[in-house]
Amino acid sequence: MSTASLTDRIGSFSRGEQVATAGVGLLAAVLLVGVVVGWITVTYLLYLVALAGMYVLLSMGLNVQWGYGGLINFSVAAFFGVGAYGSALLTADSSPVAGGFSPVVGLVAGLLVAAVLAVIIGIPTLQLRDDYLAIASLGLAEVVRMIVLNEREITAGSAGLTGIPLFFADWPVLGSLEYPFVLYVGDTALFTMERSLLIAELNVLLVVVFIAVVYLFLRRIHLSPWGRVLRTIRTDEDLAKSLGKDTYRFKMQAFVIGSVIMALAGVFYTHLVLYLNPQDLAPVLTFYVWIAVILGGSGSDRGAIFGGFTIIALQQGTRFLNAAGTIPVDPAALRLMIVGVLIIAIVRVRQEGILPPEKELIWPGSTEGSADE
Amino acid sequence: MASILQFIANGLVFSSIIVLGSIGLSLVYSIADFANFAHGDTMTIGAYGALVTFGLVGGVGGTFLGLPLGFYIALVVGMGLAAVVAVITHVFVYRPLSTTSIGLLITSIGVAFVYRAGLQAIFGTDFRNYDVPRSGPLPFIQDSLGIAVTARGLAIVVLAAILVAGTHALLQYTTLGRKMRAMADNPDLARVSGIRTKRVILATWVIGSALAAAGGVFLGLFSQIDPRIGFDLLLIIFAAVILGGIGSVYGAMLGGFLIGMIHELTPLLKDVGIPIGIQYAPAVAFVIMVVVLLARPRGIAGELT
Repeated sequence: MSTASLTDRIGSFSRGEQVATAGVGLLAAVLLVGVVVGWITVTYLLYLVALAGMYVLLSMGLNVQWGYGGLINFSVAAFFGVGAYGSALLTADSSPVAGGFSPVVGLVAGLLVAAVLAVIIGIPTLQLRDDYLAIASLGLAEVVRMIVLNEREITAGSAGLTGIPLFFADWPVLGSLEYPFVLYVGDTALFTMERSLLIAELNVLLVVVFIAVVYLFLRRIHLSPWGRVLRTIRTDEDLAKSLGKDTYRFKMQAFVIGSVIMALAGVFYTHLVLYLNPQDLAPVLTFYVWIAVILGGSGSDRGAIFGGFTIIALQQGTRFLNAAGTIPVDPAALRLMIVGVLIIAIVRVRQEGILPPEKELIWPGSTEGSADE
Repeated sequence: MASILQFIANGLVFSSIIVLGSIGLSLVYSIADFANFAHGDTMTIGAYGALVTFGLVGGVGGTFLGLPLGFYIALVVGMGLAAVVAVITHVFVYRPLSTTSIGLLITSIGVAFVYRAGLQAIFGTDFRNYDVPRSGPLPFIQDSLGIAVTARGLAIVVLAAILVAGTHALLQYTTLGRKMRAMADNPDLARVSGIRTKRVILATWVIGSALAAAGGVFLGLFSQIDPRIGFDLLLIIFAAVILGGIGSVYGAMLGGFLIGMIHELTPLLKDVGIPIGIQYAPAVAFVIMVVVLLARPRGIAGELT
């Protein structure tokens, strides 16, 4: 691609795209400097990328519900928690029920349980008016958290679960690598890699695969007739009904798909952090994901990706400022303040988000004929 | 039997707090037309406002209902502070927005976080208490009914009853109350009849937030104060408002009373053979809320007001 066409392309970016590009560029530059100067290690940076990937998954899940279908789901933390606990309880050494299974079994179980829970929560709540759904789903998420906290014989309660294996612990090659990993060419060691760095890289790879699969799947269903019906429901549910669509069924399907994606994020989190306790299911997670979605642009999957990374930048940025001793207030309070101001600002200034869905809704190639004329 | 009476007595105290929170939430729901997720944190602001004031004025003068008179000054200041904060928020955050009631709902979550972050930055996350001496159960109630009720418990119930009666009088017998009811019924009709709707909305915020703040102060008196108390109570208050019928002030009072009672009577479920522990008291309230939403979305008093 020639330089001229590249500048043409940047020139054709919408304002939101320019802002997003500038933000991502700035963040990447800061991180690069940070690694070079030695503020952060490469391992930690990769861990943050993996964590951001988890938020991307959560945001894409919520995007199916809120972005495509207009469902106000405030129980993101519950589905995340069901995925995380579902997998951890089956795989962890310290599991009070049935530890020791392969993480792949944990993944399948976590997703299945989330799907069942989504149906159970969806049956009563999806018939409700929008704002009732918000209240009811937040309430039901708290019920899930209370159960995890109080049913010690099943979930280990506030003590939490330890001894969770890595996701690829029992895979043929990856599970049996020797650490530190040394690549030999002939007799000379070409390079060595510490265990933690290798694990961090594998985790990033894993989440990238998860995101790619989910992204392609969502893009496909979003462009399908199913996606069109869902968008109609979001805009005008009565219209969809009058066209003979069973809107309750479509909403339920969107709710289940979104919830399963959130559970996938939970499964990934479990095998990334290797420790789980009921605090991970606190409602604040739900609101972080909401910010990621409405900041990125409701209904836009690249917006969800942008939003997921923004959340990590926000969380780590405030932690970093605190460590540097530049702010006099409690970092948790500062983070909460930024989150609050950000929500107000988005609704005030740019309700459609930074990267609202534009060309995603058009089949690739369907407009080419007219564009070339 | 005595234990049931004891649970009912505890339920009355807790219900008083929930009722005060519910009235404000329901008023704002019916007149400003959105589910205000910042309402719980408005209660917390009231609690902290009173805490600071009480620390300054101390126990001036004598006592009333077993509480020092300085505490009443603190209560009024806390209510005033919450009202001022709510009006400022309305004027600078909610009013300029051109969005749907869902947009307002989402905004109110941001407002809730800003409130809580502010309190957390100033006061930290430690538990605090009002410096009111704790007294044992009142002897005359203990002797006659055999249950333990503290002076502060009785004071909370009496004061809440006074505030509820005052709200009732305001809604039924004053011009402002009639305007508010007219707006709740039909905002457009109210406006064409010459009601200055902007002022009525401001008055709604003042009344709703002041009542919430009183609930927050009583909550602090009942247990203790930290920046999360209001938000943690919010869902129970929503359950009460929905049970009563959203937008209905009298429904909110009734719903608040019932939910508060159910919350405190949960231990009795064990006695009738339902194995649900006290730690699930809020869960019972939420489940009732969902059942009400399904069976009777207008609540038990939805047609009143």
